[in-house]
Amino acid sequence: MKAALRTGIFVAAILPGLSFGGARHFGFIYEAPTSAPGSFEIENWVTWARTTNPEHSDQVAFRHEIEIGITDRLQASIYLADWFYKNDPAESGFTYSDSAIELIYNLTNPVIDPIGLSLYQEYRGGNRFFEWESKLIAQKNLGPLILAYNATVEAIWEGKGLTDHEGEFQQAVGASYEISPRFSVGIELLHEFVFPKWQDEEKIRNVFIGPNVAVRHRNWFVTVTALAQATDTSEEADFQVRTIFGVGL
Amino acid sequence: MKASILFVLPCVLASCQLTNYVPPVTSQMATARKGQSVNLAMLHEGRTLFAHRCIECHTLPVVGRYSSKDWPDIVDSMSQRASLKPAEREAIISYIIAVRLAEH
Repeated sequence: MKAALRTGIFVAAILPGLSFGGARHFGFIYEAPTSAPGSFEIENWVTWARTTNPEHSDQVAFRHEIEIGITDRLQASIYLADWFYKNDPAESGFTYSDSAIELIYNLTNPVIDPIGLSLYQEYRGGNRFFEWESKLIAQKNLGPLILAYNATVEAIWEGKGLTDHEGEFQQAVGASYEISPRFSVGIELLHEFVFPKWQDEEKIRNVFIGPNVAVRHRNWFVTVTALAQATDTSEEADFQVRTIFGVGL
Repeated sequence: MKASILFVLPCVLASCQLTNYVPPVTSQMATARKGQSVNLAMLHEGRTLFAHRCIECHTLPVVGRYSSKDWPDIVDSMSQRASLKPAEREAIISYIIAVRLAEH
């Protein structure tokens, strides 16, 4: 109790000196603006996914991320740990998945320029697992309305000797309307093309769609997005909810 | 219903697009303050910072929504979160006030 009180007093004492990396309006879509140089932010992600086809299972995935503004246009993030709890008929329990590093470079501004663009690169590594992910982020701000588009290519090497391969191309589009500077609502749509063994023989296509809500105040924000699968792909989540909580340090 | 949505949505988007949330800096702005001249380079920097830093958390309001008297306090209240140095904060406020004065 005393420790909690001391922590509370410490947090309250440093709050006025905090700088903020920026708030997210979307749960599954990245935005073009990068963090201010010198800003430092911690983000915690929780994603709950329910799958019913072919079997019922629940998974709760966690991510702990540090986001740092390096220059006016460059931001870096470190995913300290991605881990998850899975509950399905075959096995249940906690598993460490991977850690990652991410870089975002902003090219143009979504307000001043006709379109805001940023480039995203991520490297992810875990036990017998490596992933490379590149993304083009496009955004346009029309007054209180934010329109965002992400095109993502990812390649995965996993298994013993990293000999198993998988690839994915994803398009994501979203709109967020700011009702007030502290509150916004919107919609997100993901369209995935999955390539097992880097082949397109199975023609796996997934579409997810759902609403989002974002709240921000002082040096923190919370964004929640709920997505439902609009296709009927087995072993893909029928429903997933992601919550991101960020706080500036 | 569909027709009304198809009509209203483009109108809303067009009205958002027509409003200039970050008007370009003009030479008029540098002399808009009576008895005070403002550095044009500072106004350009203020515009860039306004467009880049503020949208990290929220969309930009129309500058005319708040008075010249209110803007310094509004910027002050968020300058720490936006990692604004004192000179950057001054540049943003100068730009906003210059836009407000040029509008009148």
